Amino acid sequence: MTLAETQALFRRAITSAEPLSAKRLETCFAGSDALPAAERVSLYAEMYLSRLTEALRVTYPNLSRLLGDGPFAALSRDYLRRYPSRHHDVGEVGRKLATFLRRYPDPERPDLADLAELEWARQEVFFAPPAAPKGAELLSGLSQEAFLRSGLALSPALRLLVLDHDATALWRRIENGEPADPPRSERSVVAVWRNGFEVFHGALAADEALALEGAARGLDLARICAAFAAREDPAEAAHAALASWFAEGWIVGLAAGALARRGRRKAPAQSERR
Amino acid sequence: MNAPRLALGHGIGLRTKHFPEFLARRPAVDWVEAVTENFMAPGGRPIAVLEKVRREVPVVLHGVSLSIGSVDPIPERYLAELGRLVHRIEPALVSDHLCWGTHRGQYLHDLLPLPYTEEALAHVARRVEQVQERIGRPLLLENPSTYVSFRDSTMTEWEFLGELSRRSGCGILLDVNNVYVSARNFGYDPLAYLDGLPMDRVGYLHLAGHQDRGRYLLDTHDGAVPPPVWALYREVLHRLGPVPTLVEWDDRIPPLEEVVAESQRAASIEAQELEASPRRLAS
Repeated sequence: MTLAETQALFRRAITSAEPLSAKRLETCFAGSDALPAAERVSLYAEMYLSRLTEALRVTYPNLSRLLGDGPFAALSRDYLRRYPSRHHDVGEVGRKLATFLRRYPDPERPDLADLAELEWARQEVFFAPPAAPKGAELLSGLSQEAFLRSGLALSPALRLLVLDHDATALWRRIENGEPADPPRSERSVVAVWRNGFEVFHGALAADEALALEGAARGLDLARICAAFAAREDPAEAAHAALASWFAEGWIVGLAAGALARRGRRKAPAQSERR
Repeated sequence: MNAPRLALGHGIGLRTKHFPEFLARRPAVDWVEAVTENFMAPGGRPIAVLEKVRREVPVVLHGVSLSIGSVDPIPERYLAELGRLVHRIEPALVSDHLCWGTHRGQYLHDLLPLPYTEEALAHVARRVEQVQERIGRPLLLENPSTYVSFRDSTMTEWEFLGELSRRSGCGILLDVNNVYVSARNFGYDPLAYLDGLPMDRVGYLHLAGHQDRGRYLLDTHDGAVPPPVWALYREVLHRLGPVPTLVEWDDRIPPLEEVVAESQRAASIEAQELEASPRRLAS
């Protein structure tokens, strides 16, 4: 048997849903009376599933708590058959779990995909490249015209999620060890970010979400601030929002604004929209 | 390209649970080993901690996903990230495992054994050379703990590893616990392993715990180093003299001081053996 044939058989024996016959395995693997070849190979199959289930548990601590050990292990097994790992970092194995949960939703908990998306984003921003946040003085030297034409460079450790359920409330209850509420359908835009080495998330008001999405798309500050036009004091609302963005470390510099007007560039990767 | 044996002393694995203590104060260890893939992400706390630790003690990068024995090509993405991390950290040594763990682009995230054949030997030797050229330094490969063997194998693991080292110039990371676990699982004498291995190619040692599951031993890294592994460690020291030694503890990780104490126990055993056989151990 060639090396390639050996590895193909070994992989099949580890990952296939149905165990290979002992006779088939014994053409390749050697065992002993005390521990036959098929049992030896099954050790690797067990370790494969348990190791990757544990990796998923680390990425999705609150999803696994909500489901409980058995159901989470079953979900992991089904998920790994559909989305086996394609990355050298085992922490990446859960990248498609929210996608999987949307494709195969749990009828009793349709909010699982949103919870998974939130937990994945929390991991992703934790490992995002560093970028030095800037303070509000970044804007203070600009003329009014330059201010209005400037865009904002957002931190690579900031994600915007558009969710169908109130996943932040669900996440908080599980985190606090409280029983989960029934799923609540509620469209929300959630910001997930890292400040220092700590990860945060929070739901945004509709106009602030629109403004931040605009910033992520490269709009200039005139258009970003226009998102607050319906407020009683739009200028004050825009100022407060920008001040909080600086305070949270979301802004890492100025960018050429008015990209949407030119309409040639794609939205930067910060904007994660389904 | 040959791997040197550095005078690193006694170290421990750098684990996430211990990051706060590593940031707060320097533990009493000579060096640390970091799992390469856990520090490849460009941002976040892990790489920041590793850079701080690196300023205080030597770091060895120890990979688990190189998959040196796979028939898949080594992914360019992996080599690029490894190269970047090596450049950034400037580790004392770079190691991985004599195993495979990828197939047709799928990562199995395990250290799967190879059949010890001439075909596999030539294949792995070529790939070691490719990696060494890429990172500009010798690679050290660790003997895995294994639970199954292959009908096609024509040589022992120690013969394979020794010949691989001679052909490719790679060093050997000798995991003493793995020697013991595999010897028990296949019913051979662990001393035969030590006697058959070219000990001059050994760059450093691993010590760890395992579990006795009755019909086999499982390499779990979830407890203190068991007495038979300490005994085998003494045998290694008799053959090798002073050698950098690292204690691994990856599951049910205790407080940092307990891991450090285990490393200090290794240092103490080495000192005892040096006193008992000064000529050999001082060489």
